[in-house]
Amino acid sequence: MAIDQDTLRHMSEASVSVELETQDMTLNIGPQHPSTHGVLRLVATVDGERVFGVRPVIGYMHRGYEKLSEVRTYPQITALINRIDWVSGYANEVPFIVAAERLMELEVPERAQFIRLILTEMARISSHMVFMASYPLELGAATPLFFALRERERLLDLLEGVTGGRFHPNFNRIGGVKPNAGAGPTQKKTPQDLPAGFFEETREAMERIRHAADQLEDLIAGNEIIRARTKGIGVIPPEVAVAYGLSGPNLRASGVGFDLRKTENYLPYHLFDFDIPTGENGDCYDRWWVRLQEIRQSCRIIEQAIDGVPEGPLQAKVPKVIKVPAGEVYVRAENPKGEMGYYLVSDGGQGPYRLKIRSASFSNISVLPWALENVLVPDIIAIMGSLDFVLGDVDR
Amino acid sequence: MTSSPSDTEQAEQVAHPLQDFADELAGAVGGTVEIAFDSVKVSVPAENWVQAHLTARDDYDLVFFSFLSAIDWARDVAVGDPLADEEVEERIEVISSVADVSEGKRVTFSCDLDHATPTIDSLVEVYAGANWHEREAAEMFGIDFRGHPDLTLLYLPDSFEGNPLRKSFPLLSREVKPWPGKVDVEAMPEKPSTENPGA
Repeated sequence: MAIDQDTLRHMSEASVSVELETQDMTLNIGPQHPSTHGVLRLVATVDGERVFGVRPVIGYMHRGYEKLSEVRTYPQITALINRIDWVSGYANEVPFIVAAERLMELEVPERAQFIRLILTEMARISSHMVFMASYPLELGAATPLFFALRERERLLDLLEGVTGGRFHPNFNRIGGVKPNAGAGPTQKKTPQDLPAGFFEETREAMERIRHAADQLEDLIAGNEIIRARTKGIGVIPPEVAVAYGLSGPNLRASGVGFDLRKTENYLPYHLFDFDIPTGENGDCYDRWWVRLQEIRQSCRIIEQAIDGVPEGPLQAKVPKVIKVPAGEVYVRAENPKGEMGYYLVSDGGQGPYRLKIRSASFSNISVLPWALENVLVPDIIAIMGSLDFVLGDVDR
Repeated sequence: MTSSPSDTEQAEQVAHPLQDFADELAGAVGGTVEIAFDSVKVSVPAENWVQAHLTARDDYDLVFFSFLSAIDWARDVAVGDPLADEEVEERIEVISSVADVSEGKRVTFSCDLDHATPTIDSLVEVYAGANWHEREAAEMFGIDFRGHPDLTLLYLPDSFEGNPLRKSFPLLSREVKPWPGKVDVEAMPEKPSTENPGA
């Protein structure tokens, strides 16, 4: 019996649908998957390669910092909170310290503020460099990792020279900053300052960072595979982004040109000239692109800050035992990952009555169930990685 | 830079630049307003909670959901200092922070709930991002968010009992060893406690 091709195809399709009744499968990803930057578990419902829904399971790194803060003094807390987002530990400290200083109505010396600003921007570059290294790697491109991490390492060396710590500087004090013990003469009456040559070396480092940014752009921006995997993938429209509280580069990639450095006054950013790069499509590629541009903008800010850094003390006069007057304040800052804020409630004691930590990554990945609906399995990694989160920042 | 016209004397002389905005918003949502350190805090009654956020989002462009959490104002304190102020009444205060994404305006909404059985309507329909924040507040403070689609534990393991951020919840490491902590204000323990072996 002669059967024409069309009939044959119909028959085979019919038999497939009858004999192989497909069933949704639950796929567990993590908690220890390299692309989760910590321990995040995703429970995905999949049919073949198609993902229908994802339920993130978090809490594997919950360390209870909000509870611990209630039994620690203000100076002790900075040691805890720079472990929230360990990729940019320095930047975590600043909004908390500023919150305490606001309640105390303390005037921080200008030089200390400039140094805070320079180190915060260095933390931003080093955080974005980790993204520049890890994101292409998750998509299968290994080379950018070496370019990005090499420059980051030099930046961390500089940070270590000033603060004594690569990841956990614990460098801010209420009323200013404190240079490490090796920084110049420590005799009384001779104020300590930053290590000699720090500003010159930082300026040189910025040149190298710019060069590395160009290299990374050459490697990634025109790469066919990367473009195929990121362009038009994981599009988050602005109205969804704001409703979920997405902030930082993720929000700006969706086309919202909002940056807390322009509106809040926790550090003197208003003195400097810098642009806010924004994406157009809100896809994975834009989130990568915005971070690359932010590295260049941070270089600009640091160079201007070095030019303008005033002389003076690093520390305001504060009492030996720090007590913060009763009150409530919320200070939010533009951290590398987005809006990081501390809602500080003081009852006049040596430690907070309540400290609510608003971390960027928590809100940033709360969009995952929305963003991972109806995507392909490989896109899970592409979308998740593009949000640039750190589980310490999610779980706190 | 770090200070703002916060003390009442100064505030009376010069109206805060956000005062008009704050008064208007508070009037629209039926709440009372308080400005301190450049932040606007609007206290609303529980029945206006969802409506207040809708108004803020739709009429005042406060579309960005920053966070939601709570404060436990309690006398029964297992760790840390008890309330210094005798006047403060025991309650669970829910706070939420919403902002715009253009000028940098930000408002904290606050609502006082019953200390024993705090219950409030869920904001998930207004801000999708409230979902995880409410789950966190629910497990940490024991707040019931009515209408929340999935009020399961977020951070804590499934078998966990208690609400850790309640002031009455003990911190086990402090039970066995008061130090480290506020060393300056506390006496060191006489001898190592043996009450909670293995903790």
